[in-house]
Amino acid sequence: MRLSYQKRITLTAIIMVVALMLVMAALWMPHIQRDVKIMDALFVIDITDSMNVQDATVNGETVSRLDWAKEFTRRTFLDMPCGAHAGLAIFSEARSLILMNPVEVCNSYHDLTQMLNQFDPHMAWARSSEVSKAVYTAIRQAKEIEPEPTIVFVTDGHESPPLHESLFPKFDGKPGEIHGVIVGVGGEDLLPIPKTNEQGEIEGVWGVNDVMHQDVYASLRSDTTTNVPKARTEHLSSQKKSHLQTLADRVGFEYVSSPTKPGKLVDAIRKVSETRPQTIDYDLYAWFSAIALALILLVYLPYGWFIRTDD
Amino acid sequence: MLLWLIPLVLLPWFSHNTDKTVAWQAMLPHDRLSLVVTLLFKLLSSLLIASLLLALAGPHIPERIIERSRQGAEFVILLDRSRSMDDIFARPPRNTLPIEAFSTRSKRTVSGDYLLEFVKRRPDDRFGYILFSTRATEILPLSYNRDAILATIEAGALGKGLSKTDIFQALSKAAAMFEGEAYRGSRNILLISDGGVILDASEKAQLQQRLAEMRINLYWIYLRTVRGMTLDEQADDNLLWLEMPERKLHTFFKKLTTPYQAFEAGSLKEFAAAIEEIHRQQYQALIVEERLPKQSLADWFLAIALFSSLVLTLARLYTSWGVKLAAQADRF
Repeated sequence: MRLSYQKRITLTAIIMVVALMLVMAALWMPHIQRDVKIMDALFVIDITDSMNVQDATVNGETVSRLDWAKEFTRRTFLDMPCGAHAGLAIFSEARSLILMNPVEVCNSYHDLTQMLNQFDPHMAWARSSEVSKAVYTAIRQAKEIEPEPTIVFVTDGHESPPLHESLFPKFDGKPGEIHGVIVGVGGEDLLPIPKTNEQGEIEGVWGVNDVMHQDVYASLRSDTTTNVPKARTEHLSSQKKSHLQTLADRVGFEYVSSPTKPGKLVDAIRKVSETRPQTIDYDLYAWFSAIALALILLVYLPYGWFIRTDD
Repeated sequence: MLLWLIPLVLLPWFSHNTDKTVAWQAMLPHDRLSLVVTLLFKLLSSLLIASLLLALAGPHIPERIIERSRQGAEFVILLDRSRSMDDIFARPPRNTLPIEAFSTRSKRTVSGDYLLEFVKRRPDDRFGYILFSTRATEILPLSYNRDAILATIEAGALGKGLSKTDIFQALSKAAAMFEGEAYRGSRNILLISDGGVILDASEKAQLQQRLAEMRINLYWIYLRTVRGMTLDEQADDNLLWLEMPERKLHTFFKKLTTPYQAFEAGSLKEFAAAIEEIHRQQYQALIVEERLPKQSLADWFLAIALFSSLVLTLARLYTSWGVKLAAQADRF
């Protein structure tokens, strides 16, 4: 296509006028209001002994499940939209202990990560790990928080003392009343569990004779359907996927096993949560100036190198 | 990343889209002014492209922290998380007829409420929070973030208590929070509990030294468990009260070289008065850190872009007007 000199000049002038108007718009156009969907989440981190097993990976390095949980939670905070709220809780023994109610993630990111960094086995107040009961207490306490947060429960699902599937602790809430996601952590292989002492320091590993291998109640029963002898492996731990799935179904939670991208978890949280719209100011200047820039570059592109423009 | 596009500013110097090919160069008059104007326009176009690119790159002055002088103090909050804190606050003895209606709220929720109110009234203070149960853990290092401290106090009022508490460890942790910090103003530990412990000699010596080193004032709001018992010895004391751990702890605190004050809260009114008194006392000069949010500089670059594009557009319009005139003149 060849344009006459006059046409080229006119066209250039028109483009420049449009670009000028766009730059003006970028400078003076008022911010527009846009709704983003935000959620309230309460992150419950398992700090029981089985979380010290080193079978999770962060940036290609093998780390303990707890370190993975902390790092992944931190990254999830970063991926949550500003305006969303996040709280923190720890789980030990048979209950979840809420340490910080949900706060806005962007403004309080520093404090949230400071608190998260403190999480370690020292904080555990007992040496048992009853995951299902802890999920129930988290649900009960979430009901006391306004607005009710979505629970994000990070655990490997290791129950100690063990549970027989027919003798599950009773859940007295309504499934799905409080929304939640169970995040499974840990590998497939059974590995020895580091043992912490009274001071919370790691001292060797749990031996085969240190732990119970059967549900306390099942072991007392005489019928052989529930009281079946099985392999003594409760001193070893892996991610208990089927157990976590059963637990998630029971309380109406989603189950995500070893997520790799925090963004995926945020999506999962958003999907199960009752999100609230929050209006944020959105500045369109980037769009205007980008279009203006493109137009101006159009004027100056060296067309002469590709087509002849002689007249 | 956008800055990789910066070489685009050279484009105007290579482009001849709007040049007119003239049959014979010598026919053109040599004009100094035109030369300067052409150069100027090329410069302006480069400036325009550069400023738009820079504006797009999102330039900003990062968040800054500045120090200001305000009124207030620094507090580390130690709220007892033991089981006994689940009991009803200021419950009248069971063998008396309840003449006045009494609240059935637990000691922990009552303390939580007063603490929340206290924090809200003190906008410039810095607060830290220690989870104080079997093991003391510094869960919230000293922070100016109101939301974080309020949310932590709220969370502390939820749920049931944990087994036992270790006051010595909690106090040492609290003192350690000030370690390595510049002295900015009054430092305080606010201990709220309903019981005491008996400390041994070495623990006492350690605590005394730590508190003095860090120049910390200690406040103890004692939630009375036994009706009628006071922390200080009275003439008509019950013999059973003489050896209470609370009293031992109080006696030790009184011997501290650093300031110490105890408040005994047996009713909501006394609790409120204690909080009010601490609020009144701790209103001194304090250096606080303030966070200035990041400031965008995009508008500056956009203003430069606006100026250069305005000049260029006018020039282009003028040219196109001139060319049009010339074209019309040609026709005649």
